[in-house]
Formats: sequence, C-alpha cells, structure tokens
Amino acid sequence: MLNNRNRGRLSRFGRRFMQRRESCPCASGDCLSLTDLPSGEKAIITCNKHLLIIERGLYQGMTLTMHRNDSDEPNVIVAVGDARYVLDRRIAREIRVKIV
Amino acid sequence: MIMRINPMRAKPIIALVGNPNVGKTTLFNALTGARQTVGNWPGVTVEHKSGMCRFHDRQIEVIDLPGVYSLSSGSPDEQVARSYILNEKPDLIINIVDASNLERNLYLTVQLMELGAPLLMVLSMNDIAEANGLSIDIEHLASHLGFTALPLVMNKQMDLSVLTAAIEHSLTHPTNPQCIYYDEIVEKHLDNILRTTVEAGMYPLASRTESPTKVALAEEAYSALLQNRWMAVKLIEGDKEYSSKLNAEQKETVDKEILAISKHRGQEPGAVIADDRYGFIRGLVKDVVKRHRVGQWTFSDAVDKVVLSGFIGLPIFFGVMYLVFLVAVKASEPLISLISSSLTWLFVDKLGALLTLLSLPKWLNYLLSDALGGGVATIGAFIPPIFFIYVSLSILEDSGYMARAAFIADKFMRKIGLPGKAFIPLLVGFGCTVPAIMATRTLESPRDRVFASILTPFISCGAKLPVYTFLGILFFPKHADLVIFGLYMFGIVMGMLTGLMLKKTLFKSEPGNFVMELPPYHMPTLNAIMLHTWHRLKDFVLRAGKTILLVIMIINVLQVVSLPVGKDHQRVPLLKLGGKALTPLLAPMGIESSNWQASVALISGLFAKEAIVGTMQSLYQKGEAAENDKSNTPVYARNIKTSFGSSASAIAFLVFVLLYSPCAAALTMLFKEHGLKWMLFDFAYLTALAWMVSTLIYQTLAFNSGSIYWILSCVGFFALIFVNLRNIGRKHVEQS
Repeated sequence: MLNNRNRGRLSRFGRRFMQRRESCPCASGDCLSLTDLPSGEKAIITCNKHLLIIERGLYQGMTLTMHRNDSDEPNVIVAVGDARYVLDRRIAREIRVKIV
Repeated sequence: MIMRINPMRAKPIIALVGNPNVGKTTLFNALTGARQTVGNWPGVTVEHKSGMCRFHDRQIEVIDLPGVYSLSSGSPDEQVARSYILNEKPDLIINIVDASNLERNLYLTVQLMELGAPLLMVLSMNDIAEANGLSIDIEHLASHLGFTALPLVMNKQMDLSVLTAAIEHSLTHPTNPQCIYYDEIVEKHLDNILRTTVEAGMYPLASRTESPTKVALAEEAYSALLQNRWMAVKLIEGDKEYSSKLNAEQKETVDKEILAISKHRGQEPGAVIADDRYGFIRGLVKDVVKRHRVGQWTFSDAVDKVVLSGFIGLPIFFGVMYLVFLVAVKASEPLISLISSSLTWLFVDKLGALLTLLSLPKWLNYLLSDALGGGVATIGAFIPPIFFIYVSLSILEDSGYMARAAFIADKFMRKIGLPGKAFIPLLVGFGCTVPAIMATRTLESPRDRVFASILTPFISCGAKLPVYTFLGILFFPKHADLVIFGLYMFGIVMGMLTGLMLKKTLFKSEPGNFVMELPPYHMPTLNAIMLHTWHRLKDFVLRAGKTILLVIMIINVLQVVSLPVGKDHQRVPLLKLGGKALTPLLAPMGIESSNWQASVALISGLFAKEAIVGTMQSLYQKGEAAENDKSNTPVYARNIKTSFGSSASAIAFLVFVLLYSPCAAALTMLFKEHGLKWMLFDFAYLTALAWMVSTLIYQTLAFNSGSIYWILSCVGFFALIFVNLRNIGRKHVEQS
C-alpha cells in the first residue's frame, strides 16, 4: 500500500511522463482544497477547472471568503465579490485555494 | 445571425437579457404593462415571454428571456435564452446588469459584445449597490463598452422616459461594442480557427443586404467577421452545436489549435477564454467602480447567520411554513362563510327566484341557478384560503427566503437523491403542480429533472387546499389547521419516502451538482405582493372556474341520463351506476358502497382537484339526513358526515386526495416535458400508492378482524412494486 506522500510522487511522475503540465500553479503545501478552508477565512483561487463555476466569477486569482463550511453539510457558502454562492462540496473539493 | 437592425422590419424586437434575478421581468412589466410573475429567486422565468409596447406611434415587441450567466448552453432555460439571441436576431438587446454585483454580471455583457449584438445596458439595484458602499461611474463604463448604459431603480416608481428615449436612439443608431482581445498566443490560434470557420462556411462573409450601399456592405462585412470570431471562440470553449458543423478534417485542424492554446496556458481551453474575459472585466471594474466601504459584511449576511444556522435554521423553516397555513386557515375562516352565503343568496336563491318569475323550464332553472350558481358559490368559497396562502408565499419569495429554504432543504434532498436546487420547483408546487414541473427546467441534469417532476405532485397544490379546508372543518372543526398542516407535512414525508425508494431503484446515479446564488434580502413591497397574488389568484379562478363549471355540468347531465337496471327495470342515473361500479375498489379505505358520491368526486378531481368540493356539494344535496336534521348545518354537510360514517374514513379519503394522480393539466405537462412513459408511471404509481396508504390508515384506525388481511396485502403489493422498479433500474444500468 502506498502512503499519501508516495501516491503524490507517483502521480507527479505520471504527469511528467505523459508530458502534461501541472495545471495548478501552486507549490506543494501552499494550496488547499476549498472544502478545507475554515469559515471566515479569505483565500485566492489558484485552480478551478469547472467552466460553470468560473463563469459565475470564481476564476483563478479571485479572492473569496468562506462564509459557512460545516463538514456534515453537503455544500459550502462562499462570498465572491458581492455575490453569495451555495457550492456543492463535490465541486468545492476540486477548487484549490491559497489562504491570504 | 446578423445582429444589426433590419430597416425593413416593421415591428422591431427588443430582447431583455441578463443574469437571473436582476429584474428583467420587472422591466418587462413596466415596458409592456403586462403583469408577469416576478420573484427574488433565480428561475422565476423558464421560457421566453413576449409583449408589445408603443413608443411614438411605433409598435415594438419586447421579449423577456430566462436569466443566464453566460451563453454556453446549460440547462433548458439557458438554452431557451441562448437560442433566442442567436436565432431570432433581436434588433436591440437590453442587457440588465445588477449594479451591486457588476463584475459577475459583466461576464454575460462581454459575451454579448463578442457576438456583435446591438446593446443597451440598464443598471438595476443601484440602491443596494449604494447601501453596499459602491459607486459606479456609468458614463465612464459606457465609454469603455462602446454603447449606452443607464441606471434604473426597478422596485420604485420607475421613470421610463430616459429609457424609452435611449431605446429609440439605440434602435435608429446602433453602436459597435468594443472588441475583446485575448492574449497574443490565444489570438494567433484564434485567427487560425477563424480561417477554418470561414472555410467551413459557418457564417458566409458575402453580403446578405437586399439594397447594398457602401455603408451597409461595410457594416455587413464587420458583423460577419464578428460572427465568425464568435464561432471560433465558442469552438475553443468546446461548444457542441458549432463543432458538429465541421467536417472531420476541419475538426482535426481546430482540435490542434485548441490543444496548442491549452498547452500554452496549462488550463482547459474553456477556462482560458473565461479567465481572459474576466481579465478584461476586472480591469474595467477597477477603473469605473469605487468602493467606499472595505468590509463586505452585508445585512443579508447578518440575517443568514441566523436563518441558515445549523441549529435554528430548520425550526425557523418549519415555523414559517406552519405560520403560512395557520394564517391561511384562521384568517380565511370568517370570510369563507361570508362569501359563500352571499354568493349562494345571489346566484342560487335570487337567480332561481328570477328564473321562476320568467317561467323558464324547470330543468333550465335547475341548471342555471342550482348547478351553475352553486358552482360560482363554491369557487367563491375557495378564494379566501388561496388568497392568504398566496400572499404568504409571495412575501417569502419576494423577501429572498425561498433560495435559503433550498439551502436548508439540501441536506434532506441529497438523502432522497436530488440536489438542493430541486427544492425550488417543489416549493412552486405549493402554488400549482403545472408551473412546478416547468420549473424543473432550471436543473441541469435530465435525471434530476425527471426525478423532481415525479415528486412535485406530493406537494399539496393550492387546488387541494379547498378540499382539505372543506373536509377538515367539517370533520375536525376544532383542529382543522392542524389537520391541514398535517396533510401538507404527510405529503412531504411520502414524497421523501418515494424519493428514497426511487433513488435505490430507478435513479441510482448521483444527483447533479448544486450551485446556486443566494439573492440579497429585499423588503417586499405591497404592490409586488398584491400583483404576484393577483396573478396567481386570477389564474386559479379562471382555470378552476372553467373546470369546475364544466365538471358540474357533466355531473348534472350524467345525473339526469338514466338506464333501466334490474328485474323491475328501475331507471338509475348513469352517474350513480358509474360511481357504484368503482366504489368496491375503495371499500378497503372505508368508502361504503352506499357512498358512491365519494368515488365520483375523486373522478372529477382528475380534471381539477378543486372540482372535488363542488362535486361533493352537488351530489350530497339529497339524502336521508337531509329531512330529519333541523340544525343550521348545510344539507350536504350533514349528508357527507352520515355517508362517511367515521373520522377514519374521512382521513383515509383526504390522504387519497393528497396522494392520487395529479390533475389532467399536470399530467399533460409531464407528458410535454418528459414523455408518455413518465406520465403513465406517475399516474399509475401515485394512484396505487394513494390506495395502499389510505387503506393502511383506515384499517389501522378502524382495526377489525379483516384489517390484518388488508394490511398484509398492502405491504405485499408495495414489495412487488419495489422489486419491479429495482429490476427495471438494474436493466437500465446494464443497458447504459
């Protein structure tokens, strides 16, 4: 069984092998998933691949504030500019952010 | 797809386009004098609506489109807006932009600019923007965009003179919006793709103008260039509609260019385009918007802290809903008897007396005064509870609480296999099932749309309320409000149980993603609430009125037409025969064979649920109890009590009304949206479920030696349905 660290290494090796560029410009450890951002914290979006969400203003470089993030709830509430969004946790998990 | 004004068009077309919940319908109503429903939650408009307005002796057609965030085709309501803009070529697009959330709203504006559409911008919600400490330099914004921009406060007394002048000017002098440029490398590949789209003839550069002048030709060529560029951008975004127009060779060329863009930026191609558009928007917003207050904590955030709280959010939700029904029952109680007795006096007693004076035939007198007049009195009695429930729901919708309710419900919705957004169509179902089924169009996934449509009939619509009120007050005069609230809640519980079962059988896949904007709270205005309520009440009275009168007429005809039956050839009315033939099926739920009127009432409910009360009032006029009792209670009420015998059978009957097949209009809408298969499934499943649950309730409440047999039969029948659905679901998974 691989531990998380080695699994990450293997994944990065795979990407290099397939000549795919790392799509998230974020050094290891700097970024976290949006679902891991605690309530009240501000963060900058470093990676978001969902076009539907980007179109709503959650693009790379945008600052957002986590309004509500209870792990027992299926979604999170974020403030992006002057809009408030309810985001599915499944989508939020794939968005990488950097705390400011 | 040319986006320039056509001088030959006698009636110019203006399309209202914008993000959801920015005030498009409010502006549409103001321009056309229409009375379309508006609300403070996304998804109020799900199909385009058209109206006419007149400026200086010139007729203009105004189109209200569903709210969209972008021109990528997502859910069906977004497709309606996109295909209208792209195919119908409006002469002017009024882009309504929420000033309090300019950045996000400009994303759609940028796409419309790329399309080369003749644009006019209206900035709504300026009051909220000011309250949030934002000031926008509108002239500066307009100069950057290349077309006129106007501020307009939608929910106050609207001054349309400036807007109409701007519309006139924009129609006669269409401007060229600014072109959006992407980064150098993207532009290079975009040019290559553009060449391919021209080669493919997706939008020919040749002139299409009927009387070419130099100016017209230049305009045409510029517009065609913009269209081709737009298509090239959409190809990069992976638009299926446009990529299907390319042949294999062209597709390969385009794919190579797209791959190069993706490699260059290390992002998905769609994300590259979106990021660059936001790059332009961000620069623009920095230039024209000044924020006076740094903190972004708003009044709505403070309210949400309480309303969406994990501990008291749910009790608040249930408390609010109970209050709605309490108001509907308690406030309408004195009005029901007043309206009913006044209309009966006028349309039954006085009209009957007048017709007798005019010496009209007895049958015509009966038809006009007792049948039709009685029907009018019945409809009149429905108005107070429906009015109060619609007022309460309008307050909730206009204030912005409905979207929060969807968030609160999401936790439970997931358990039954639906995203939280599906809660909004279900809430619409409290008004009427037909618009509720239509509102499922706001859901992105087809699976979610079908699933949510199947569950909408479990939400008691406004038409069921008169039945609950009528029988609730008759059988449980002291606890009618609790009985009504209980029925509403029971419907929700049964819907959830059905959802759980369908999640494990027919709809095994995961629900779609839940992404929803929470609109800021608004103070609902009396005007908006009354307009909203009037709109729904008028619909109800007209629709219910027509159906009830038709049903009453049919029932009266069937009561008169008779057939000889038995050895002595005694003539029995057709209606009684039909009702008696059906009644044995309802015997396990406490409907005795002598109570055939109840089964006829249920059949009439298939036309419209409101018709059940009218049918009962009409059919129970004659009976044994009528002659003996001298109290003030109406004759039909005493007969109903005698015929049902016990409260247990009344409850079972009410539950059957709650759960059985939706009305003909809702079934038609299901057929239109999802096809014959799902319509038949909903009809059969709901009717079978209603019978099983009513039988279980009656047999449990009036337990006797035969009850065990019926209870076991119901459980067995349900198990059979479950196994069958599971097998169908399994086959479906294997096939897919």
